[in-house]
Amino acid sequence: MLGFLARRVVLGLVSIVGASVVIFIVSRLSGDPIVLLLPIEAPPALIAATRQAMGLDEPLWMQYLIFAGKALTGDFGNSYRWQMPALRLVLERLPATVLLALAALSFSILLAVPLGVLSAVRRGTWVDSLGKGFAMLGQAMPNFWVGLLLILVLAIQFNLLPAYGYGTAAHLVMPAIALGWYPVAAQTRVVRSAMLDVLDSDYIRTGRAVGAPEWVLIWKYAFRNAAIPLVTMLGVYFAAMLSGAFVVEVIFAWPGVGRTVVEAVFSRDFPVVQAGVFFTSILFVLSNLLVDLSYSLIDPRIRNE
Amino acid sequence: MNNAAPALPPRGFILRTLRAGRARGFPWVPALLLALVVLAALGGGAVTPHDPNGLNLGVAFRPPFWQAKGSWVYPLGTDNLGRDILSRIIAGARISLIVAFYAIVFSGGVGALIGMIAGYFGRAVDAFIMRVVDIQMSIPALALALVFAAVLPPGLGTVIVVIVVTYWTWYARIIRSEILSLKERDYVALAKVAGCGTATIFLRHLLPNILNTLLVLASLQVGQVIIFEASLSFLGLGIQTPDVSWGLMLADARAYITNAWWAITMPGFAIMLTCLSSNLVGDWLRDTLDPRRRQL
Amino acid sequence: MSKRQALLAAALLLTLPALAWAQKPKAATGTLTVAFAAEATVLDPFKYSAGVDTYFISQMFEQLVRPDPSLKDVNWLAESWKVDENKGKPIIDIRLRKGVKFHNGDAMTARDFEFAYEKLRDPKVSRWSHLQASVEKFEVVDDYHFRLHFKEGDGSYTSGYLQLWAIPKNYYEKVGAEGFGKAPVGTGPWKFVSRTVKEEIRFEAFDDYWNKTHRPTVKNLIVKVIPEDLTRVAAFKTGAVDWIDAVPPSMVEEFRNMPGVKTVSVVTGNNLFIDFNTQQPNSPFRDPRVRQAAAHAIDMDAIIKTVLFGQGERYAEVGKGEAGYDPELQPYSYDPQKARELLRQAGHPNGFDIPCYNLTTPREPYVKEMGEAVFAYLTAAGIRCRVNGLEYGAWINLGRMGRNAPPEMDGVISWMWGHGLPGDAGTPWAGHLHSFVAGQGWGSYSKTEDAEADRMVEELKRVMDPAQRAVLIRKIARYKRDNVLGGLTTYRPLVTLAWRDKVDFKPWPAGFYRNMQEIGLKP
Repeated sequence: MLGFLARRVVLGLVSIVGASVVIFIVSRLSGDPIVLLLPIEAPPALIAATRQAMGLDEPLWMQYLIFAGKALTGDFGNSYRWQMPALRLVLERLPATVLLALAALSFSILLAVPLGVLSAVRRGTWVDSLGKGFAMLGQAMPNFWVGLLLILVLAIQFNLLPAYGYGTAAHLVMPAIALGWYPVAAQTRVVRSAMLDVLDSDYIRTGRAVGAPEWVLIWKYAFRNAAIPLVTMLGVYFAAMLSGAFVVEVIFAWPGVGRTVVEAVFSRDFPVVQAGVFFTSILFVLSNLLVDLSYSLIDPRIRNE
Repeated sequence: MNNAAPALPPRGFILRTLRAGRARGFPWVPALLLALVVLAALGGGAVTPHDPNGLNLGVAFRPPFWQAKGSWVYPLGTDNLGRDILSRIIAGARISLIVAFYAIVFSGGVGALIGMIAGYFGRAVDAFIMRVVDIQMSIPALALALVFAAVLPPGLGTVIVVIVVTYWTWYARIIRSEILSLKERDYVALAKVAGCGTATIFLRHLLPNILNTLLVLASLQVGQVIIFEASLSFLGLGIQTPDVSWGLMLADARAYITNAWWAITMPGFAIMLTCLSSNLVGDWLRDTLDPRRRQL
Repeated sequence: MSKRQALLAAALLLTLPALAWAQKPKAATGTLTVAFAAEATVLDPFKYSAGVDTYFISQMFEQLVRPDPSLKDVNWLAESWKVDENKGKPIIDIRLRKGVKFHNGDAMTARDFEFAYEKLRDPKVSRWSHLQASVEKFEVVDDYHFRLHFKEGDGSYTSGYLQLWAIPKNYYEKVGAEGFGKAPVGTGPWKFVSRTVKEEIRFEAFDDYWNKTHRPTVKNLIVKVIPEDLTRVAAFKTGAVDWIDAVPPSMVEEFRNMPGVKTVSVVTGNNLFIDFNTQQPNSPFRDPRVRQAAAHAIDMDAIIKTVLFGQGERYAEVGKGEAGYDPELQPYSYDPQKARELLRQAGHPNGFDIPCYNLTTPREPYVKEMGEAVFAYLTAAGIRCRVNGLEYGAWINLGRMGRNAPPEMDGVISWMWGHGLPGDAGTPWAGHLHSFVAGQGWGSYSKTEDAEADRMVEELKRVMDPAQRAVLIRKIARYKRDNVLGGLTTYRPLVTLAWRDKVDFKPWPAGFYRNMQEIGLKP
């Protein structure tokens, strides 16, 4: 078990380092940040001098080594735009993204569980179709569109929720809905099929025969079976939320890492792109690790792989 | 070459499953919608009532036909530059489908090939390829796409490249595990013994067996790809003018959202209906071809 | 732990973050919350690189001269100044206002300006060191009197508020550049309190501020940074903020009609134009008739009205209020027939195809749509545009001269170069009207090669007297307009500010009108 864990952690580290190399190379190919930083009247001598001062005239491999060396000591360099440490900029905003992803995940589960259970229990009826349909809607709508419509209706038209910012639970509602609707379809399917597998089983039928109330059978016994695949996949869904957060944060001006990275990509702010993707990768790898861990807890065969 | 493989012949099985499927609730309405979208895409300029890029400042901000100032001339209204929204949606269908088609074909092709190589050759090759997949999968999809899209000049080609780069890993992983189990089957060993080259084994023995899976994966991807392209275009790194994309229409409409609610809802509906339809058809395909994959 | 307990714990864990979020306490009185659409990247005037930096810098720092609300340059930290001559070389003689204090209590003296000058001319410190290039010597006469000795005439100095900022020398040397960037100290009406990058910045009114007539009357100022239009508007409508800048043009009408809300639409000092490739030998735009045809082909008034929702001011070379503004000089009329006729005369009876480059990043609202509309008009007249959309980085790269590398700007491009407020076209014209000269700083983005224009622009650079500048600018403007050189001017964007009736606000042009010089809450 420990060996399995250790191996997965090492693989995760390799992935993160590899990811940072890829992002490093690709982002530096994306264009010249100097031109974007200096005023339009800057003479060519100033441009060359600034480029040299920022170390951007060195060969690519050299730049990476310098970056890696500094990164090991926690120095990801200064943001080109904000002239403050890129690491601080990203770490200060990471909690907001995690919060949003968790809230979105909660929303999706809060929706998927009743939908899945209902669909299974009332399988084949219009309830089943409605539940599946509602879930599928989420998969068919771009999250930024949902966000825009929510702002338009709930914030501007009816003034029910604050359209901007961060600070109260009310601020979290719309972004969480916009972000969290997407996986509902997959989760509903998971819950539904797991419930279906179990609802026909012997011990449920026995329970019915001895007169146990239906809701107890559904929620106390059958649901346990459905919860397992859902929980084991939590990591995967969380990772998906992290990815989707990039666009949703932009719409809602949510002060998270996603929005920061999007802006940094446009302004060619390499240190921030690097730091931002680095830490999101860590979260990604961690959540996938969690999935593997849950699977191994459930399935002893994998443990001894 | 001994073709004793119990591989399903590619041609006949589609017809068979379609026939079987009709009894299993074929989603007619979504399929019809999809057919409409495909027709719109193929029709191109001939199908649009107006020039999708035809500016006409005099008729800017006309609402859809059922509202007061609307008319049948511009059934879904016009945008801030007086362009007909319906025509633009039809033009956008073309782009969305082109992107979806090429992106899925290439990412599926590349991903499947790499997955087959990894699964078939195993050991070092497999380990290396899986590491690459792991590395790429630890970068959030949109982040990777953003960074790539910033490198290449924005436009149709770049969007396809970015989607291929982002999604090939998905195919690779799944196909690899398929191959891993297939490779132990007798007919593959027999083919090797009989002296069949690797390419032949790939094409004749392995490929037909993963076709089901590939088809199911591809059909489920259409919606995802369309939304992904919309997100990229929305952020400004995808389709550029004068090409028309639904995501781009949404991005543009954001600037005058309170003046023209139709400009921001119509393209969104187009995306939603297309994705919903393709997901429903994909689900049906999956249920018919490969019921094991229900968890996908 | 049983499986069920584990599941319960997981569920709780997921909901905990949301539940733990408490309501923020209500703001205290004497506090005004405003929202800006963008924020400064630096707080140190020496590190100033983009116009947007003045949003914050202008609240805390001041210069010798500045434009007042009527866009007239008035003496500010300078009590008086004049342009003199010494052995044929110009001198600016400046007398400082007495009794001006910095936020930390230090008195402002000539030494502070000398310090600022030394830093501003150092290319390792400042990105604008080239602006100090023509100053030969900084002479401190006494604590409130200093002189700038010039190598030669430099019009950008007198038209640029005398370029220098009041920076506290002793404090800066004590805390260093980094310390100063974290806790800036200036002479301005607002004192720095705190800042959270990408969220907000907090100021406190400076009690010892020198100007007793024009100053804020509220104690605390919170500036929220909300780049998203809808979000910013929603923040205003819900009362989270009481003043916003950059009302989205599509909502200006709605804001103007909103009860209890005041608005003002002002020019921000940016100038937009369409530039043509005239340097390549086979370009059709080398013929001035083709350029004039393009000028007649565009219905700019319709574009301003429909695409920009009226948030633009048409101008011909030099806008209203700028130095050398000539009310007699009119932009070209919309005359598509004349455009086609001119094209025919120039040898293009069936028009021609040409690539047209459009900026897609909204540096100004709707600049992309505006460009598309302009190119559509050109196409309708026969100058058939192949539109290429470029985001900011690629666009700047394409426009820059002297790269000796692809891509080439081989057609028409939508461009901009602000004249500032109240506005002086000297520096912009040096950049896009004067022909490109490698290594000299002339024509860094210019697609024009006209010897007469070059001569006049070079002369303008040396003229420091405002009246003389106005005469020369008028002359250049007429020549530029008649020959459509250095691009075809289109419009100057307006920005609309909105505030609630309970806010007492007087717009001052500094910081692109984001300056909170005179603001307060009505009793």
